[in-house]
Amino acid sequence: MAALIIGYGLIPTKYATEFNIQHFAELPVQVGGRIKPLDSVARNTLLILSARQKVVTRDGQTLPPILWFMDLTMRPELADSYPIFKIEFPDDLGLPNLAQAGERYYSFNDLKPHFEALLTARSNINPEPRQRSAYEQQVADLNQGLSLYHRIMHSLHPVGGSDRLDRLSDEYQSYLTLATGKGMAELRKQQAGQEYDSKLLDSFIFFADDYLKLSQLAQLDVIPPPPPVAPMADWKNVGLELLDVMKGQALSPYVTGYATLTMAYRANDAVRFNQDLASLRQRFIADFPNELGRVRFEQLFNELQVFSVSMQLYVLIFLIVCISWLRWPQELGKAAYWILIAAFALHTFGLLARMYIQGRPPVTNLYSSAVFVGWGAVLLGVFIEKFYRNGIGAAMAALVGFSTLIIAHHLAMSGDTLEMMRAVLDSNFWLATHVIIITFGYSAMFLAGALALIFALMGLFKREFDKETARSLSGMVYGITCFAALFSLVGTILGGIWADQSWGRFWGWDPKENGALMIVVMAAIFLHARWGGICQERGLMALALCGNIVTAWSWFGTNLLGVGLHSYGFTDSGFLWMIGFAASQLFCIGLVSLPWKFWRSSFGQAKQLKAS
Amino acid sequence: MRSIFKFFSSLKLTVCLLSFSMALIFFGTLDQVHYGIWHTQKLYFESFVAIWSYPQQWPAFDQLYWLRLPLPGGYLLGGLLFINLIAAHVTRFKFSLKKSGIFLVHLGLILLLVSELLTDLSSKDSQMSVDEGSRSNYSQSYRSNELVFIDRSQPDHDQVYSIPAQLLEPGKTVQLPDSPLRVRTVQYFANAEVGRASAPSNSPADQGVALKMNVIASPIAVSYADDAINTATAYVEVLSPQGSLGTWLVSNVIDDRFPPQMVRLGSQSWEIALRFQRYYYPFEIELIDFKHDKYPGTEIPFNYSSQVMAHHQDRTKNQAALIYMNHPLRYQGLTFYQASFANKDTTSIFQVVRNPGWLLPYISVLLMGLGMSVQFAMHFFKFLRKRT
Repeated sequence: MAALIIGYGLIPTKYATEFNIQHFAELPVQVGGRIKPLDSVARNTLLILSARQKVVTRDGQTLPPILWFMDLTMRPELADSYPIFKIEFPDDLGLPNLAQAGERYYSFNDLKPHFEALLTARSNINPEPRQRSAYEQQVADLNQGLSLYHRIMHSLHPVGGSDRLDRLSDEYQSYLTLATGKGMAELRKQQAGQEYDSKLLDSFIFFADDYLKLSQLAQLDVIPPPPPVAPMADWKNVGLELLDVMKGQALSPYVTGYATLTMAYRANDAVRFNQDLASLRQRFIADFPNELGRVRFEQLFNELQVFSVSMQLYVLIFLIVCISWLRWPQELGKAAYWILIAAFALHTFGLLARMYIQGRPPVTNLYSSAVFVGWGAVLLGVFIEKFYRNGIGAAMAALVGFSTLIIAHHLAMSGDTLEMMRAVLDSNFWLATHVIIITFGYSAMFLAGALALIFALMGLFKREFDKETARSLSGMVYGITCFAALFSLVGTILGGIWADQSWGRFWGWDPKENGALMIVVMAAIFLHARWGGICQERGLMALALCGNIVTAWSWFGTNLLGVGLHSYGFTDSGFLWMIGFAASQLFCIGLVSLPWKFWRSSFGQAKQLKAS
Repeated sequence: MRSIFKFFSSLKLTVCLLSFSMALIFFGTLDQVHYGIWHTQKLYFESFVAIWSYPQQWPAFDQLYWLRLPLPGGYLLGGLLFINLIAAHVTRFKFSLKKSGIFLVHLGLILLLVSELLTDLSSKDSQMSVDEGSRSNYSQSYRSNELVFIDRSQPDHDQVYSIPAQLLEPGKTVQLPDSPLRVRTVQYFANAEVGRASAPSNSPADQGVALKMNVIASPIAVSYADDAINTATAYVEVLSPQGSLGTWLVSNVIDDRFPPQMVRLGSQSWEIALRFQRYYYPFEIELIDFKHDKYPGTEIPFNYSSQVMAHHQDRTKNQAALIYMNHPLRYQGLTFYQASFANKDTTSIFQVVRNPGWLLPYISVLLMGLGMSVQFAMHFFKFLRKRT
């Protein structure tokens, strides 16, 4: 079954069309400081607008992101009918006739009659993003989404309907004759009061005006500078490139290339499309000999969706282990172990791939920290399973792996997760040491908490849970917490040293630093309580579960606070999840604190006898 | 006596103090939403007792507004933890190779606590702003203010008399050393709104900017936001042996954009001003070039750097340096960090920190990391041996 999941998830898509979609997806664009394939832009844009990476049209067709992107940029009249704007609560927007029962996705055409109302609503909301209510947030998101949609649509060519888009080559041709002298000549004649060709001049002014607007509108910088290209040079968008012709620059062949691509796609001429695409691609390879590999790899990585596959495998592992505690312990236990290795390998590949694409250590933002926390926990779980071979390590590792990948998935909704690092964070040394060590500390704390959870559940409900299993499980929690204490402490102090190198003070008591310190103190409390015999197994498990709450607070809770802005982040969607998680852990602490007579296991019964 | 020792060295006390620390850090973090980071540090971590009150933004504030939570402050907890650690080592711990890891960790911890206390007491933070092509020989605080009298009568140097703002208590008089002047504070506002009066007002000032430009000041609440600038303002009366010379309105917002306010006595004159406290140095920092590099096609900065030259009065101590993110200049017991910039990337602003104990945390982390690794490695190998 695992083979099925892996196979299904990892086979690259084969598009059932004659158009060379694969190569189009690999065309380069410069976004956020690095060169990406168009495929990444398509996926990220769709994530921002739809919170998912596919489009389902009103007649039931499912489109992958790149096909949607092609329609958006080259057949906009068709794209406008696709329901891609996700609106969770359309009734709340107060727009008459918008909401359709059961529909969460709306198209551009659906929203068109309400543009003015949306703009007015936008001007009335709180300017401070952290203090907005859920309604205000929805209005802001929708406005931003529509703006993004419009700007991406006009990234490959000027704004216009079918009459303009079907004649782009002619337009550029006439523009070139005007821009390279004739237009300016007519303008000078007019200003000198001489006879001039008004039609020519009007045409020239129209182009200049229109391309100026386009340069401010087009979202994507798809036009690289002419060779030889410096790696840090700015790329241009279509509008800016067209404008620069007036300064005497030659028009980049990418502009005309995209124009002919558009015309061919609209005319459904696959042969011409593929020809033009091939020449664009050759030009890219010639100008950027080192980049094609990385761009192709990124497109492939986008498609493979390794984290999604890993997530499904983790669920499978968890189920297998649970069943193995009831029947066929040997076979299922082994199966679970090997699937865990496979899932871990995929997870590792994903991390390494991201490192290669970005050129950075694995943890650079909140998304990648979530991926890494899962990876670290699974690594530790693999070791535990190797030593103890009772399925517990595998199950709990799978639990943490799955949960963190779900969190990561939700964090990816803001768009690009492979963004560039801001100057103060731009230090591979500290990113590789402090950030990784502290994130590993998070992994360990969560794994210890998960093990404490299973201790409680097994102790309360499973009769075969005996003293030996309890002791080994307790030992696991102790070992992992030691690991967590070491990594959290060293990581926190390394963070202080980084701050000293960066800002002039080792410790500033800011929320993130405080959160990290709380984790260290929590681990210290656990260790000292154990050494002093202040707590026995139940108390220690309760402390480990507390550790879960503290770690979640440190990782996410501190981000919710708007320090100095009088905002506690109550309106943030993450706030409810945090409260929910904390409540669930408190419930588990309650479970673990139940008197011994409620513990059905032989371990619990023995304790009950000793107590009475 | 013995029971006191037992109490202070007990592990239960340790766990108890650590739990209180968690609570203190948590509630302090929550209060940072109101008080900003700097002020919360003073209230919670540099104090002996802290009191948390139920925030207005929380639900059920109308029912729970009275809720106050007293907590032991940072100094109290730190002090007790310190005593607890020392007492435990003195009474219970016997040095053995088996426990060497723990000794190292605790030693590192003691060093860290001491270094933090040292930093609290002795470190000074200020900012130095330098334009490209020019130099500066002072840095200024962004929180402390000083009342200055500047005697510019000498051709080669200015004489500056400085009174820290803490001494400007209403009604009190301060004698300016080596000068015939005394200053009596009429009013002092930690933060104020300073502007032109629309109608004639009865302002206490009868000299300078207040008179000529009809400027008045009214006090407003101090802002604790981390980058807020509080406009410290005062009405001060200058007294001489011959009597009062008048009352001036001074404020850190009345700076070199305004004509200087002058106090005259016979043939002597002084410029009077309230400004951010300045620290003068025996060297000048010259900004040769400031670079602000962004990722291509974006506004995201990937590098800020300042090419500087330090010109010391003692020529042998001159030094050239490149200051950029994560790479400060350590010079003459001070550390210069790239903090900010202004004026379209032509002015560089440095954070200047004097912290004599800056090396201690580095040593501490080495000790603690080493100690923990040693201790846990011993446990781990023991565990491995048991299983084989």
